[in-house]
Amino acid sequence: MQATAIGTVAVTIVLLGAFLYARASVSHIANDAMSQITISVYTVPSATKAQEDALRTAFAKDERILSSEYVPKAQGLHELRERMKGQIDTSILTENPLPDKFRVKVRQPELVPAVAASLKKLPGVESVDYGQDVVQRLLQIVSVARRVGIALIGLFILVAGIIISNTIRLTVFARRREISIMQLVGATNMYIRLPFICEGLIDGALGVILAVAVLAIARATLVPKLALALPWLQLSAAHIDVSSLILQLFGVGAAVGVVASWIAVGRYLRT
Amino acid sequence: MISLRGVSLVYPNGVRALDGIDLEIGKGDFVFLVGHSGTGKSSLLRLLYREMFPTSGEITVDGIRVDRLKRNRVPMLRRHLGVVFQDFKLLTDKTVWENVAFALQVTGAHTRDVMRQVPRCLDLVGLSHKSRMYPGELSGGEQQRAAIARALVNNPKILLCDEPTGNLDPATTTEIMELLGRINLKGTTVVVATHNQAVVDRMRRRVVRLENGRVVTDEERGYYFLGLGQDQILSG
Repeated sequence: MQATAIGTVAVTIVLLGAFLYARASVSHIANDAMSQITISVYTVPSATKAQEDALRTAFAKDERILSSEYVPKAQGLHELRERMKGQIDTSILTENPLPDKFRVKVRQPELVPAVAASLKKLPGVESVDYGQDVVQRLLQIVSVARRVGIALIGLFILVAGIIISNTIRLTVFARRREISIMQLVGATNMYIRLPFICEGLIDGALGVILAVAVLAIARATLVPKLALALPWLQLSAAHIDVSSLILQLFGVGAAVGVVASWIAVGRYLRT
Repeated sequence: MISLRGVSLVYPNGVRALDGIDLEIGKGDFVFLVGHSGTGKSSLLRLLYREMFPTSGEITVDGIRVDRLKRNRVPMLRRHLGVVFQDFKLLTDKTVWENVAFALQVTGAHTRDVMRQVPRCLDLVGLSHKSRMYPGELSGGEQQRAAIARALVNNPKILLCDEPTGNLDPATTTEIMELLGRINLKGTTVVVATHNQAVVDRMRRRVVRLENGRVVTDEERGYYFLGLGQDQILSG
């Protein structure tokens, strides 16, 4: 009976752990991608040196901005040719269609839309571009992942709690004769509860240990294979704080064990 | 020591187990509760150790208003009472010693108190030589003696016995009742619910007769049947 509880909790925690891991990866990848985004601030063709200097000062003063780099149109064209090499024959461009621009890097990726919006208002700025579509999609993915994550985590915890609770209820029922004798002899409810709470705690903790072992093995074997199959995903897990994740899972497992068994015993004692 | 005033008990299904009971039991008394099965003897005892809650009336045990007792105080009450049952209610996975010690341990007693009290009680009931045996290895009489030892380990002032000899043969019954008599001599108030006529008639103690949930007679040196001894009934 206990093995069932531990096993099912383990499965739940494995799913929870895998999910948290995946979510952290998604978050990381998204942030990584976002951190590589630069804002291109295109100046009006008629911009004066004074205006350009004013912009430089404005960028320097804005603490959200990490750095800014002036890219005159000639350099811009050169960079474009480099990027498009092999894809388009850029020799067809007789005139340089590109404007002068500033390449602005932002301290935190989430600020990109806000910074872009404020930069657009500055004098001498023709337009501001940062790959809006991509950024928006990434932000959406992260936000959806977060909300789905919370819901799923809640579900996982609920399931684990119900399983442990039911196991404890079966144990309590099996021992009801002893419990009633304990009550007749003058044991307090807390005294009767304690062994069951401990059992719930152990069920939760052992489930987590088993789950962590499974997850560790999975990570060691599956993740390298996945990384080979999908290299662009950059699944290197060095970025994810594993020890904190394990602690969180333990906390969850133990808490669920204690709460579930408390409720299970309480329901019996109250009748 | 025990006082019931206007106590009634109506079960959820409408059955009136007790109807306006007035009863006073003094310190050191030995009282038999007799009556047909279902007249409320067990129910009355259950009220005393708060297994049930009276529908109306006042119950006082050793100065405690049992009917007013909060649920979380009930364990405290039970530690001051000893209760003995027809089916012994021993923990089958514990030895005699452990069963008796258990009643002391739940109160949080020190090990040295346990080491002192448990042998004393086992000695009193004559089970010292069998303290390491399990209930399953004992006879009915021995199991009941173990149960009595457990009931006594907290030095209760009151011992409640619900058909203590119901599962025992006549010879063992006599032994158990003699034991209860000895316990009473030491000053413990003893209340025995029984429908064992022979026991009641032999001991000639106070007999409280219940019928349809009411106290119909209360005699000091009573017989099981009203005013008649066994020999008088047989002779017509």
